[in-house]
Parts: sequence; structure tokens; C-alpha cells
Amino acid sequence: MSALYPQTEALSSRERAVLNLYAISALAVFLLLMLFGLAMRAAQGRWINISPQVFYQLMTAHGAGMVGTVGLASSAIMWFFLRKYVRLSTAMFVANYLLFLLGAVLILAAVFIGGFGGAWTFLYPLPVHTMGIWSINAAAVFMLGYLVIGVGFLLFYLDAMLAVMRVYGNLGRALGWQWLFGGTIDKSHPTTVVASTMVIIVNTLGILGGAVVLVMCLVNAYVPRFPLDALLVKNLIYFFGHVFVNCSIYMAVIGVYELLPRYSGRPWGVSRPFLWAWAASTVMVLIVYPHHLMMDYVMPHWMLVTGQIISYTSGLPVFLVTAYGALTNVYRSGMRWRMPAMLIVLSMFGWAAGIVPAIVDGTIAVNVVMHNTMWVPGHFHFYLLLGVLPMVLAFLYHVAGGSSRSLETAGDRLSLAVYLIAGLAFVGMFLAGGRASEPRRYAVHFAEWLPYDRAASIAAALVIAAMLLFAIRISGALLKAGSGEKGSGEVPAHLPG
Amino acid sequence: MKRAHAGLAAGLLPVLLAAPPLQRMLEASMTAQMLVQIPLLAIAGMLLGKSLPESAANRIQPWNRGGATGLIVVTFASACWMLPLSLDAAVVSPAADLAKFLTIPLLIGLPLASSWPRMSFVLRGVLLFEALATLFRMGWLYLISPVRLCNSYGLSDQQRLGEWLLMAGTALLLCIAWQLLWGSPKAAAGAAGPPGLRAGRPA
Repeated sequence: MSALYPQTEALSSRERAVLNLYAISALAVFLLLMLFGLAMRAAQGRWINISPQVFYQLMTAHGAGMVGTVGLASSAIMWFFLRKYVRLSTAMFVANYLLFLLGAVLILAAVFIGGFGGAWTFLYPLPVHTMGIWSINAAAVFMLGYLVIGVGFLLFYLDAMLAVMRVYGNLGRALGWQWLFGGTIDKSHPTTVVASTMVIIVNTLGILGGAVVLVMCLVNAYVPRFPLDALLVKNLIYFFGHVFVNCSIYMAVIGVYELLPRYSGRPWGVSRPFLWAWAASTVMVLIVYPHHLMMDYVMPHWMLVTGQIISYTSGLPVFLVTAYGALTNVYRSGMRWRMPAMLIVLSMFGWAAGIVPAIVDGTIAVNVVMHNTMWVPGHFHFYLLLGVLPMVLAFLYHVAGGSSRSLETAGDRLSLAVYLIAGLAFVGMFLAGGRASEPRRYAVHFAEWLPYDRAASIAAALVIAAMLLFAIRISGALLKAGSGEKGSGEVPAHLPG
Repeated sequence: MKRAHAGLAAGLLPVLLAAPPLQRMLEASMTAQMLVQIPLLAIAGMLLGKSLPESAANRIQPWNRGGATGLIVVTFASACWMLPLSLDAAVVSPAADLAKFLTIPLLIGLPLASSWPRMSFVLRGVLLFEALATLFRMGWLYLISPVRLCNSYGLSDQQRLGEWLLMAGTALLLCIAWQLLWGSPKAAAGAAGPPGLRAGRPA
């Protein structure tokens, strides 16, 4: 075991098999959903002909699937690193995977068999106003799929919560809150524990919001005499949706904290600003969601103003300590520029640059003009495609790479360059389309918008080609490592059995 | 509380609640029935569980591994007594009222008391999570229903219950959050942590 691969991270054969399931499933689903995305852009560009109904089915599967799969992949990162410090249950990790699989099957069945095309947001009353395109049952199965996935994540977080509290006493201490106002900070307090604890808290609350609103929508679907307040439903959907996506980023950031110092050779410990940043984000990520509702003029004004102000400040604390920390960690460090290191630096750029259009859209005066344009898919594709996904890929390249350099070929580096350039072009076309008032969620586009759609299609195809190579290389290496390892199945030596 | 005291309280509480003036008062409003009478009956069942001799508890244990059987019984019995139909029936039908006084202590309180200590942290977490979600959902439903769901109670009473359920959910959420964030480790995690990991951890 080298400094890059410490003994404390060794996987038993069972753990490796489960991690492989997560990794390979996530890569396969990413590829499939990227193809759905390409089909949508090509259809908008009139290069292929698909009916609007199929377009909205693809859009629904793409949106719900990408968010869920990013969450699944990020949870694997959290599990992998958190188990060094606390004792996690592999059974719960497996349960999360199986429930995710079941939920995904339900969602895909609702979309492609039941014809549900009400977008990932399933905003009331659209799912129950089917206009004969899908049935109430299809909408219900879609929502049931979300519920099942939520139960899986809940089990995973409850297990992690117990494990963290067994070691640190309570969640406040795991977050390092005892050092916020003074005292000598224990520099060995793991950054992974701080980030994981924050995610456990806020995503459990997010799932609670989701569990409430999903069941209410199901009740309404079958007993319409209980009329729902559409605005309240929208608030709750965006509360849990926003929290879930943000937590996916924060779980993936754990990989940055753990891996970057190994490639730079510099430690990355906790500090008071670091603890304050995570404490602030714990609160702000829960109250920032009204920035998704700025076009809802009936929202209480104070909530919209809060949404704008918190939009400016919510992501910044964690982002600043992470990006600034990464820069100082890399600067003149004699960095080993291997694939995981390059992907991590790319992810910092993607996260940073993706935040800018998000903050612009989080301004009420801009939002009323830009929110229903391609600008918004531009910003979230920016930080998901060039921010979070590279974090996931960095982790997978690291784990799959072992101590050899077998995943460091010119082909890998070329794919990374293609991924970066094509990814920038792809999100750039969204943002430029937004600037040209190209509306989002339209299956059919005017001729004036076709150049953006066609350029985006070419870029998307290149991104998919690069992603395909990443997926093949990583999956092959993971399976090879799994078959070559004799794995004792024992608990790592540093943890109690 | 000593076993004998718990047994005495478990016996007295339902009798007290069945006393006509108190019963009339608690069943006069939907809010009092659901948020005072039913929880007190469940507490009587929990006290009964505490008063059981250890030999009886040990005999039940093989049938209630990890508290799973008890949890299933509690879930179904609670679901029945959450329905407005059941609340209504308990007011107008003596048989349904008797069923309430028997089933809530014996099928909710008692199994909960015997299962809770056997449940894992994750199972307890799921139960509390679902309890919270149910309080919010039921509160919401009672608030938005445009019609009376019980013949015995008015719309305003129903809506007041909805508000109280939402408040109860919020209060429970805050209590749990407080305990998890700042509570003592034993109470929070329900078990002592692994000694190897605890050593040298935060001051």
C-alpha cells in the first residue's frame, strides 16, 4: 500500500463487489441518459424526428435519472471514504443500491411503458391532468419510484448517522461545532466526517419533504376531492429536489478532500473557516430553494427576496473553502498530474464556472427574463457535467487505477481533453441559446434556434464518445481488480470487528 | 418507574379515561380525541409493557426479533386509528369505543414498549421518520379537506386538528434534531460506540 492507496481504504471482496456494482451501474446509466440527451438536442435541431410525446418522455427520464444517478455515484464516494473513520454497514449500502434499482425500474416503466412525460418535477396538477397521454397509474408509479429511491437513501443516511454518533457523540461534534467560537481545533478531525455529517442532516430533511409531498400527490391522484395547493406542492418539490442535488455535489466533494492532498503531497485539514463554511451551508442549503420559484408571483415577497440573498451566499462558503483550499493545495506542490488529479482540477473549474450563471439567474430581475430559457439548463449542466461528474470520474479512476499506471494512457488523456472542450461547447450552446431567448422544455424549435441545437448535438456526441471510453476503461479495470483479488472479507484492521 | 407502579398506572389510566365526564370531554372534539385520548391510551399500553415480568418478556422475544413483529402490529393498528371513520365510529358505537380502549393499549402501546428496545437505530429512525411524515401528511389532509370527514365533528374542529398535527410534527422534528445535534451519545445512538474508534476522538 502506498500513500495514494492507504491500508485503511482496503476493500474486502464483498465491499469491492458492491462498489463495482455502484460504479459500473452508474457509468452505464450515465451513458444511456446522455444518449437520451443527445436525442433531445438532435430532435430540437431537426436532425432526427421524434414526436413531442417521446421528447417529453426522454426529458423526464433524463432529468430524473441523471439527478438520481449522480446521487447514487456520490453516495459511493461518501461510503468509500467515510468507512475509514466510522463503521458503516455494507448491508445498508447494498440496500440503498437495490432500492435505487427498484425505483429506477418503476420510473422507467412509468415513462416508457406508461408514457409519463411530466418532467422530473411532476409539478401538480400536471401528473393528474394527463390529457389522455398517460394514465393516473403511470403518474403514480413514477412517484412511487421516487419514494422507493428515497427509502434507500434514508437507510444509508441513518446507518451513517449511527456510525458517526458512535464515534463523535452527536452530529454537532462531528461537524466540529464545538470549535466554531474558540478552542483548539483537532487538526486530525476528518474533513470527510464534516461533509458527510452535513449531508446526512440536510438530505434526511430533504427526503422528509419529499416523502410528505409525494404521498400527498398520490392521495390526490386517487382521491381528487383532496385538492392540493399547487404552490405549496411546488415549494416542497423544489425543497427536496434542490437539497438532493446539492447533497450529491457535497458527497462528491469528499473525494476532492481525500484525493487531492495525496496527489499534491500536501495535507488538507480542518480549520475554523472550513468548519464555519460547512455550518453555514448546513443552514443555507435548506432555505435557498425559493430561487427556483421567482417566477411564481404569488409567492410571499419576503421568500423571494430571501431566495435571492441566500442564492448569493448559499453555495459560496463551501465552494470558497474548497476551491481556495484546492488552489493553495495545488500551487507549487509538485503535483502528480495523473488522471484523478486532472479530473479534480477540472471539477473545481466546472463547479466554479457553473455557479456564475446560477447566481446570475438567482437575481430576481434577471430571473423573470432568463428562467424559462436555455440559460438554466446551461448552468446546471455546467456544474453537473463539468463539476460533479469529473469528481465522480476522478474517484473511479483513482479506485480503478490501483497503484499501477494502466489507466494513464494517451487515450485517457485525449478523452479528457475531448470531454473538456466538447463539454464546454455543449454547455456554452445552452447558455448562448438562453441569451437568444431560446425557451427551455420545448420539443420543437424555430429555425433561428437550430444552430445552437445542432452545435450542441455535435458537442454532446463528442462528450458521449469520451464518456464511453472512460466507462470502458474504468469498468474493465474495476472488474480486473475484483477478479484478481483474493479479498479476505474481513473488517479492516483499524476498525473493530 | 417500578414495575408495580407501572402496572398500577397501566390499569388506572384506561379506567380514568373511560370515566363518563372525562370520556365525554375528550370525545367532544376531534382534536382532543386524536391528540389526547388516543396517545394516553397508547401510554397505558406502554406502561403495561413495562410492568410485565421479565419471564413474560423473554417468552415473547423469539417472536419479536429486532422488534419487527411488534413494529408491524403497531403500524397497522395506528393506521386504523388514524382514519376519520374509526374516530367517528368510536363516538357513535359503544362496540367501536370498546375496541378503541382495548386495541390502542394492546396493539399499539404494548408492542411498541416491548419492541422499541429491541429495534436497531436504523429501524427506530425509519419509524420516527414515518411518524413525522404521517403527522405532516395527516395535518395537511385535515386542513385542505373541503368536507367534513367525520359526521360527529365540525369542519372547524377538523381544521384545528390539522393545525395541531402540523404543530406536533414540527415539535417532534425539533426535539429529534436537538437530540441528534447536541444530545448525549448514549441517548442519541442507543449504544456505546466502538472503543477503538472513540479513543483520541474530539475533545
